[in-house]
Amino acid sequence: MMAIRIRRAAFALLAVFLLYGAAAQLLRDRLPDRVWLGAHYVENVKLLPTWRALAEEGAYLIQSDLLLQSAAVSARRVLLGLALGSVVGLFFGLFSGWVARFEYLADPWVTLFRFTPALALLPLYVIWFGFGETSKVLLIATNVAVVTLLGAHQGVRSVPRVYLEAAASLGASRSLAFRRVVLPLAFPAIFASLRIAVGLAWVTIVVAELIDARMPSLGYLLALSGAYPRVPTMLIALATVGALVLGCDALALALHARATSWMRRAP
Amino acid sequence: MTANAAPAPLLEGLEIGYVYPGQNPTRALEGLSLEVKEGEFLAVLGPVGCGKTTLLRIFAGFLRPTSGAVRCAGAPIEGPGWQRGYVLQEEAIFPWMTVRENLEFGLRAKGLEPAARQAVSEELLRLIGLSSFADSYPKDLSAGMSKMVEVARVLATDPAILLLDEPFGALDAQTRARMQDALADLWEKRRKTVLFVTHDAEEALYLADRIVVLSQRPGRVKAQFAVELARPRSLETRFSPAFLDLKRKIWEATA
Repeated sequence: MMAIRIRRAAFALLAVFLLYGAAAQLLRDRLPDRVWLGAHYVENVKLLPTWRALAEEGAYLIQSDLLLQSAAVSARRVLLGLALGSVVGLFFGLFSGWVARFEYLADPWVTLFRFTPALALLPLYVIWFGFGETSKVLLIATNVAVVTLLGAHQGVRSVPRVYLEAAASLGASRSLAFRRVVLPLAFPAIFASLRIAVGLAWVTIVVAELIDARMPSLGYLLALSGAYPRVPTMLIALATVGALVLGCDALALALHARATSWMRRAP
Repeated sequence: MTANAAPAPLLEGLEIGYVYPGQNPTRALEGLSLEVKEGEFLAVLGPVGCGKTTLLRIFAGFLRPTSGAVRCAGAPIEGPGWQRGYVLQEEAIFPWMTVRENLEFGLRAKGLEPAARQAVSEELLRLIGLSSFADSYPKDLSAGMSKMVEVARVLATDPAILLLDEPFGALDAQTRARMQDALADLWEKRRKTVLFVTHDAEEALYLADRIVVLSQRPGRVKAQFAVELARPRSLETRFSPAFLDLKRKIWEATA
């Protein structure tokens, strides 16, 4: 099952690579090579860089250590934000799902945050927490907390009544029922929200790094390559973000499969 | 309760009435009195929608009767608890736990050590013939087997009474008969007091010592029958004159 999945994913990625390469070769001399950038034309821009150009740029980015450093810095922010945000979000989500009275108090606040684009908080966070790491990590954490809170809350609320009654009939205390009945059943919903949160965290960090741009970071690499402009750099930076999101997601899926092996599944 | 005393009512309901609240309040039960003696296997028989499940949920402690009183071993029933082992009509085996973990859940709730829990679960597994499935997840069991695990799961805590809500309602006739034999066998070995709810007259006859027939909604006791068929019962019992005679009487009472 896993092997088939990986094979198909590899096939899909390879197909897109090849198609892109072919398109870039075909259109190399046909696309305009100057672009209007703000106040002036920039000459000699390759809109679709060829394999060769990408390989050269990739080699430069790797040799100069720019790419790896940027990825490491951005990934660190994402992981910190994810850890912090999901701890807070899961705690309050589980709590508000389990304690009905708290739900009514929390609900308007959750709704308020849910529809506030997290990036809209960036100016505020910069003023509150400065330009450094704190504001970026907290911005991701806020985003992640809202999503995981909703997931955990939903997960707890969707636990079927029969299981809670069976547990109560067997003499389970509230805390035992929560640990051994509610948590395992809420896990898939919690997990789905975590997967969404991982993707969202990467979106947030890249945009946050575009605004408060410092080297090294993937967001700044993108911003910088847009300013020159250097399309190969952009494409490589984008592909790196994509690869990191894919990696996180694959890891998450593998954990999920392990933890839910008890479920009935179509083969 | 001493062994030589006359069987005292272990579970009793006095003039139970229950009304489901709402825009059109539904009277599910009205003036229903019932007692289950220690060691007795009592079947409550009634048509679908007569309030059988409501009655059982009241005894289990999940519903409070709108009128009347319910007592278990002399004490009023205040809420759910392991003393009344309740097997729901719906499938309520925990699918995220292995069969063994399911069986041991009530013991875990009681705070037993793993070794003590395992001793009980091993014995129950042997009793229901599922020793080789101890570490399987319920997804690998048939519907009948998982129901037996649910029955064994409430037996694990050694409750005073079992409350069984149409445990075999969702099974085909053959599996049903097999499960009835398994339950009867279990009852022979453990002699628990049982309150068994069903809409199947034959099932009630095959398993019970006494049958209480409920009326249409609002449910009240319409007729009672003592089932004095020898145990252990078998296929022969199902076709014996005494069985068929009682079956006819029950049919006439329910008609």
